[in-house]
Amino acid sequence: MPMDRYADMEDKLRILEDLNMMYIRQIALSLQDSDIQKKIDHEIRMRDGACKLLAACSQRDQALEAAKSLLTCNTRIMAYMSELQRMKEAQVMQRVARRSDGTRSSDAGPMDDRLPCKSKVAISDLRIPLMWKDTEYFKNKGELHRCAVFCLLQVGGEIHDTDMVMVDRTLTDICFDNTIVFSEASPGFELRVELYSCCSEEDYSAGSAPRKLASKLSSSLGRSAGKKLRVAMDPGACSPTSHGGAATLLLPGPAVAGPKYHLLAHTSLSLSHVQDSFRTHDLSISGNEECSYWVPLYGSACCRLAAQPHCMTQQMMSGCLKVKQLGGDPQSWTNVYGVLKGTNLFCYHRQEDMEANVEPAFTIAINKETRIRASEKDPHSKAQSICISNQYGGEEVTHTLSADSREETHRWMEAFWQQFYDMSQWKQCCDDLMKIELPSPRKPAIVTSKQGSLYHEIVIDTSDDISTVTDILTRQMQELELRSQLGTSPPWMSLFEESPGGPRTPRLARHSPRSPHRLPHSPLSSLRCPWPGLLSSDASLTSDSDSPCSTSPCSRHRGWAEPLSLSSPRFRHRGWAEPLSLSSPRFRPRTLSLDAKLSTLRGRGYGGVLQCSCQPPSSSSLAPIPAQCVPQATLSCSSSTSSNSSSEGSHSPSSLDGTPFSRPSSARRSLMNLRAKLDPRNWLQSQV
Amino acid sequence: MSFIPGQPVTAVVQRIEIRKLRQGEHLILGFSIGGGIDQDPGQNPFSEDKSDKGIYVTRVTPEGPAEVAGLMMGDKVMQVNGWDMTMVTHDQARKRLTKKNEDVVRLLVTRKSLEQAVKHSMM
Repeated sequence: MPMDRYADMEDKLRILEDLNMMYIRQIALSLQDSDIQKKIDHEIRMRDGACKLLAACSQRDQALEAAKSLLTCNTRIMAYMSELQRMKEAQVMQRVARRSDGTRSSDAGPMDDRLPCKSKVAISDLRIPLMWKDTEYFKNKGELHRCAVFCLLQVGGEIHDTDMVMVDRTLTDICFDNTIVFSEASPGFELRVELYSCCSEEDYSAGSAPRKLASKLSSSLGRSAGKKLRVAMDPGACSPTSHGGAATLLLPGPAVAGPKYHLLAHTSLSLSHVQDSFRTHDLSISGNEECSYWVPLYGSACCRLAAQPHCMTQQMMSGCLKVKQLGGDPQSWTNVYGVLKGTNLFCYHRQEDMEANVEPAFTIAINKETRIRASEKDPHSKAQSICISNQYGGEEVTHTLSADSREETHRWMEAFWQQFYDMSQWKQCCDDLMKIELPSPRKPAIVTSKQGSLYHEIVIDTSDDISTVTDILTRQMQELELRSQLGTSPPWMSLFEESPGGPRTPRLARHSPRSPHRLPHSPLSSLRCPWPGLLSSDASLTSDSDSPCSTSPCSRHRGWAEPLSLSSPRFRHRGWAEPLSLSSPRFRPRTLSLDAKLSTLRGRGYGGVLQCSCQPPSSSSLAPIPAQCVPQATLSCSSSTSSNSSSEGSHSPSSLDGTPFSRPSSARRSLMNLRAKLDPRNWLQSQV
Repeated sequence: MSFIPGQPVTAVVQRIEIRKLRQGEHLILGFSIGGGIDQDPGQNPFSEDKSDKGIYVTRVTPEGPAEVAGLMMGDKVMQVNGWDMTMVTHDQARKRLTKKNEDVVRLLVTRKSLEQAVKHSMM
C-alpha cells in the first residue's frame, strides 16, 4: 500500500514539474529573454544528473559530492527563478505605469540617474577556525566524528560553491583554497556565504541496510547515535524540501535518499568588507551541538575579499586631446592620445604607443582629490576646455585639455563625471588596484597525511649541518673542560687529558672540509693548550661576533647558588640558529629537529674519538639514563638528562665504542617516540 | 627528584631569571610547558618518576628569552616568582608564567644533571 502512495506522489510531482516548466518558459518568452531560460534548463539537467549519480553511487565520498552538486543546482535554480519573477514584475510595473500615465516618457527617470560601473569581486583563502573542546582534541578516544563541509557563495544571481572538505577533530581550521570570482557586481552587492555541512559517519543510503545494521550493533545506541538513526528514519527528512528550499516546491526534483547537507552558518559581506588584506568576519551559526551535522565553529571566518571595479581595470574613455599645462606658453598645446583608466589619465604621444605598451608621455592623476571644471576662457579655440587640477606635494598643478569638437569635450566631461561617480560608489576599491589571483588550473589535491593536525606539521630540517654539530661538540668539550677547571677535576676528565691530540684530529679532519665557513680549527687547537687558554677560546667561539668576549662562562650563567658552579655555561646557540633558518620573526620551536639532527649524526657514525665502554644511551635521551653507565661517562649521561640536544652531542664522542653506531633506524624510531610522547593529544603542552 | 606526596621535597635547583620579550602585544618567554596535576603524568617524556605531576619544560625556542637565561628542555619547574609549581594544574602554571604585568619571571628549576654535578663536585 505505501508503495502505491509513493508512486502516486511521484507522478503528481512530475506533472507539477512539467506544468512549472511550461510556466517558466512562458515567462521567459514573454520577457524575450532566453538567456535565463537556457541557464535554468542547464541547471535542471545538472540536477537530474546529480540525482541519478546519488542514487547510483555506493561510495560515501561520491555520494557527498553528488549531494553537494544537487544543493548547488537547486540554489541556482531558485536564484534564476526569482530573477525571472523579478524581471516579470518589473515589466508588468512598467507597463502599468505607462498605461496609467501616458505622458510620461519612458526614458525619463532611470536615464538621468547615473549607474555606477560594475566590478569583479573575488573572495579567496576562506578559512573558518574551529573550536574543539580540548577533551575532544587531545584525547584520541572514540571514533572520529567527521563531517563534510563546503561553502556556497552567492552574489545576486551568481552562485558558486567551493570544494568539499572533510572535517574531523584533527583539523584546527576549515580551509577552502578556492578563489571565487564574481564578474558583475554592483557597489551595493551582497556576498552571501553559507556553510553547509553533512555528517559523514554512518551511511544512510538506501542500499546499505546490512551496514546500517552493523553500525547500529557496533556502536552502542547512545543518545547521539539514536538521534542520527531517527533522522535517517524520518521520512520527512527525505522530502525534497530539505534539498534547497522553496525552489524545489516550484520545480520539485525527485526525492533521493542520500547524504543531506544542512546550513551550519552564514554571513553576508558587502562593499564595506572589501579590503586588500585578510579580514575576520562574524558568522551566524544555525544549529547546535545536538545536530548530527554540527561542527564546533569558533564563530568567525577569515577571508580576503577584493574588488576590481571596471573603472579601475578598463579604459573608460580614450581619444585625441590637446593638453596644456597652466602657466606655460599659451601656444604650447601638446597633441596627445589620452586614455582614462583607473585613477589616471595616461597621455601617449600617439595611439600606436598605447597599443604597443610604451610608457605614456605623461600621466595626469584623476583621483578623489582632483578637481575638474570646464572653462570658457580660452578665446582661441571654439570648444570648451577642461581644467584638471591636482595637488602634487604642496603645489597645485593644472592641466588644460581641449578636444577637437564640442561633442568630444562633452564626452570627456561625461567620462570624468562618471569616473568620479564610480570612485565615490566604490570607495576604497578605487584607491589602488587590488590584485585578484585567478584560480590556477586545478592541481591534484595534495593528499595530507592521516594526522593532519597543526602540531604534526613541525618540520624537520634535514640540511646537512655537520658543521654545526661539530661546533656543538667542541663546545661541549670545552664545557667539560671548563667544568673541570672550576671545580675539582672529576675522575673522568683524565680521559680527555690522556688523549689530547690524536683522536680529535681525525675527527676534525673529517669534518672540516665540510664546514669551511666555521671555525673548525681554532677551538680544537685551543683544546690542546693548557686550561687557562680555554677561557678565551670559549669566549671567542661563543661570542656572537667573533670578538673575544670577556665574560666568563660562570658569570654568563649568572650563577647564584654555589653548588651550581658546574652548571653548564650557557652559550648562545648561534651555530644552531643559522641552519634552522628562523624565517619568521616568531620563534618556531625547533628543538625536536635538533634531536633528529644529532641522532642521525650518531647513526652516521661519527668517528671514533674516545674509546669509552659506556653504552650509548638511547637517543630518547630524555628517558632516565640507565644506571649502568661507567663513571667516566657519567657526566655525559647525566648531562643528557637535561635533555638538551647539545648534551646529546656530548656523549656522542664519548659513547662511541666498538659497537657499530646507533642504527639510524633506532634513532629515527626514538625520535618518533619522542614526537609521539610530546603529542599534545596525549599530554597537554602550552607555549608561554 | 622523586617525591612522596605530602612530604617536603628537597632538590638541587637552579635559579633562572627570564626577561620576557615583547612581541607586539604579547610578552613571550620562549618555551613550552607540559604537565600539571590535571594531566596524565605517564605521558611525560622528561620525568624520571612517572607519577610526577610537576611542570616540565618541553620545548625551548632557540634564541628566545628562556634559552638565553639558561632554561633547558626537560627541566622541572619548581617555583615561579615564589609561587609553587609542583602541585598546580596546567592552566594555573601557564597563568603564573604569563602574567601581563610582570616583565621578569624568576624560576627555580631542577634537573637531573644538577644533582649529579653536585655529587661529582663533592667527590
